[in-house]
Amino acid sequence: MSSPVQAGACVLNRREFIHSAASVGGGLLLAFGWPVGRLEAEQNIPTTRSPSAFLEIGTDGTITVTSPAVEMGQGGHTAMPMILIEELGGDWNRVQVKDAPAGVVYNNPVFHQQSTVGSFSVRGWYAELRRIGATAREMLLQAAAADWDVPAGELNAANSVISHPTSGRSCHFGSVASMAARLPVPQHPTLKSSVDFNLIGTSPRRVELSKKIDGSARYGIDVTLPNMLYAAIKMSPTLSGTLKSFDDSAAQRAAGYRATVPLPDGMIVIADSYWQARQALAQVNVEYAPGKLAGVDSPQISQILRAAFTEPGAVVRSEGDAPAVLARLPNTLEAVYEVPYLAHACMEPMNCTANIDAAGCEVWCGTQAPQGAQQAAASVLKIPIEQVRVHTQYLGGGFGRRGESDFVVQAVMAAKAVGRPVKLIWSREEDIQHDYYRPAAAIRFRAALDGEKRLSALECVVVTSSAPTRIGAGPAFYTGSIADSNYSYAVPNFRVTGLDKDLGVRFGFWRSVNESHNPFMLEGFIDEIAHHLQQDPYQFRRSLLQHGRGRRQLAVLDLAAEKAGWRNRRAGHALGIAAFEAFGSFIATVADISMKGPEIRLHRVVTAIDCGVAIHPDNIQAQLEGGMVYGLTAALRGQITLANGAVEQTNFTDYRMLTMAEMPRVECHVLPSTEAPGGIGEPGTAPIAPALANAIYAATGNRLRSLPLSSHGLTYSAQRT
Amino acid sequence: MLELQVNGKAYRVDVDPTTPLLWVLRDGLDLIGTKFGCGVGACGACTVLMDGQAMRSCVVPVSAVAGKAVTTIEGLSNDGSHPVQQAWLAESVPQCGYCQSGMMLAAVALLKHKPQPTDADIDTAMTNICRCGTYNRIRRAIHAAARRNLYV
Ligand code: FES
Ligand code: FES
Repeated sequence: MSSPVQAGACVLNRREFIHSAASVGGGLLLAFGWPVGRLEAEQNIPTTRSPSAFLEIGTDGTITVTSPAVEMGQGGHTAMPMILIEELGGDWNRVQVKDAPAGVVYNNPVFHQQSTVGSFSVRGWYAELRRIGATAREMLLQAAAADWDVPAGELNAANSVISHPTSGRSCHFGSVASMAARLPVPQHPTLKSSVDFNLIGTSPRRVELSKKIDGSARYGIDVTLPNMLYAAIKMSPTLSGTLKSFDDSAAQRAAGYRATVPLPDGMIVIADSYWQARQALAQVNVEYAPGKLAGVDSPQISQILRAAFTEPGAVVRSEGDAPAVLARLPNTLEAVYEVPYLAHACMEPMNCTANIDAAGCEVWCGTQAPQGAQQAAASVLKIPIEQVRVHTQYLGGGFGRRGESDFVVQAVMAAKAVGRPVKLIWSREEDIQHDYYRPAAAIRFRAALDGEKRLSALECVVVTSSAPTRIGAGPAFYTGSIADSNYSYAVPNFRVTGLDKDLGVRFGFWRSVNESHNPFMLEGFIDEIAHHLQQDPYQFRRSLLQHGRGRRQLAVLDLAAEKAGWRNRRAGHALGIAAFEAFGSFIATVADISMKGPEIRLHRVVTAIDCGVAIHPDNIQAQLEGGMVYGLTAALRGQITLANGAVEQTNFTDYRMLTMAEMPRVECHVLPSTEAPGGIGEPGTAPIAPALANAIYAATGNRLRSLPLSSHGLTYSAQRT
Repeated sequence: MLELQVNGKAYRVDVDPTTPLLWVLRDGLDLIGTKFGCGVGACGACTVLMDGQAMRSCVVPVSAVAGKAVTTIEGLSNDGSHPVQQAWLAESVPQCGYCQSGMMLAAVALLKHKPQPTDADIDTAMTNICRCGTYNRIRRAIHAAARRNLYV
């Protein structure tokens, strides 16, 4: 086996850190080390001690790829291997995919954490996985070349077969794998030219799909261990509440009851079956100290956000002198936009199974952050992280919620209490009432228009209710693309400030994160400016993108408008458009609606994206469409409200999801591109809210500056004609 | 002791008769393809067939299915060859996949009742929730399964 990755081996060139070795079966195993070190060492993150492989080629020709991205429906288990196999020249049909264990070698090259988040998997791994594939290909070719005594440059690899056209010889990868494992690792593997790609850009069946049609896919909730007990949980209704006292005497008499585990903020009951655990838990009487959110209702949160606009914030973008221009020009416009808290509501409720043994602890769960889960378990038990083994399962939805590890902490506490394996499953009610919420947020915009009717100054004050300080991020983070996109609208005087009003509601990453609110607001306000100037909103956006850097944004804007029939909309229909950069991709969406009284009738949603090199086009379509549904659900009726510091919504009965009958026609157009890949999991979520609100304005003259749309008395239907 | 008929097999289970069928299937019979989503009959992740009718097993006490034939995703076919499963594959329907057992069983019940469903039939019958937003592909897959006219 290869040597272990050492902690603190800083500033090593990454390629010096690739080891080859014979695998257990005698084939080629490429363990691939990171320049582990600077960042991880500074953060004092210890590394795991086991060697970690990305690629293993068995002597039987089996190719096993360890995916650094987890599989939560976004297609990571397919896209990651495709990139590697493309360069390897491997046979896609012989590929098996494994989840990576927790380990710093799997830290995303861009942000140095082992997390499947931020639409970062392909973006972060594209170059590295290509290089690993190319390295292995060259080693296999070298091995065959030595065997046949011909120059390696005369050999080709395709479909796991190495061929020498001159002599007509060929052999399978498997037959040279163990020879290849003994060769030195090439330092400068040659990458394929993208014109030679024959796997990237195609849409093979996703690797795990056959397990998702027969019930055999194992999610976290499906883990079953010998001797396992089940746990149910209920936490303080008031979000800031802490446990004061409890009486579990009735629960103790319930069938199957095993143990009560009090938590700082809640209560776990363990029983022989999950249903028994739930029944027993319902019989525990608990008293909570309400904490600082007691007495807080949603309307107050809105007031706090709006009152903050005049406070000094952190300036995160400043071009020209927006305040001076705003003071000087008479033609100005001002508007305030606002969005509420949102819950993720993954289809699979939070859960985790834990077992503590002499060697340490094992946890099984669907997690977007295997090292986060590992650290969470280690911190409960006060053991080194090396003693925690994380078994990542399929995720029944992630959307950012499973980047958290609160449920891991709880499961480990439960397993510790009974000294047996325990599976903890949250109820849907707990899931909705104890999320890490997409923060409520508001923006005040001010714009100044010059004598030529051009947008001269734009000022945005972004206020968020839950500061993401726990990830060390501040205003530059939550102002998102408004502050950091260099490819968007050209405004000579442009200022963005950010303010945190941390109200104590847990901040979370909700599919598309900051872009779930900022584009709704900015694209709404840009629309307002266009109408104020009596310009067509699409043409007005075009006029702001006539700078060289706006090229890609302009192309998707034009494509979406063209495909949606912007110039020849049907009688009685109104169109709304929105366009921006998100997660390294450029996106534009048009919503095609008509109104019938207060009913929004959505006929069609047309999206165009430039996400750079398209790895798996069919999956991009699926992600854009699914992302749009996530955004549409929130835009129409998504809101988490507080009453006396407790979440009022309880289940899908009152936190309602979009259904089949409400599903509009969707068209997604992926622009051919040779640019570096952008994200695809999240960009699709963001544009529907502004496109829809802008369409409603076009239809009614009613400008809706807050979500959900249902709070304005509007109803909804999909019209697929 | 309750006697259950699941996927053509007879089981005897010793549980509180008010236990929802869902938990008996999952934790008692190890038929984990049936999923828990809400526990209140609002999402359909737990959908199974009872004498061919789709029903939400999280709100059905196990005692209510005694003597009825229950079909779960595991019982649809031995090898993923059921026309609905094949249509689901051909359209690459699942994303996270968590809702899809329930979706497929709801589709099977629909197609049994209406071999050539219209879009409106699908809207009415398919009330399960998919948080990943796969509805249009589900619709296409149902039409594809119906087109193959494999239901008699
Ligand atoms: S779990 Fe049964 S309907 Fe949701
Ligand atoms: S595929 Fe994820 S919930 Fe439907």
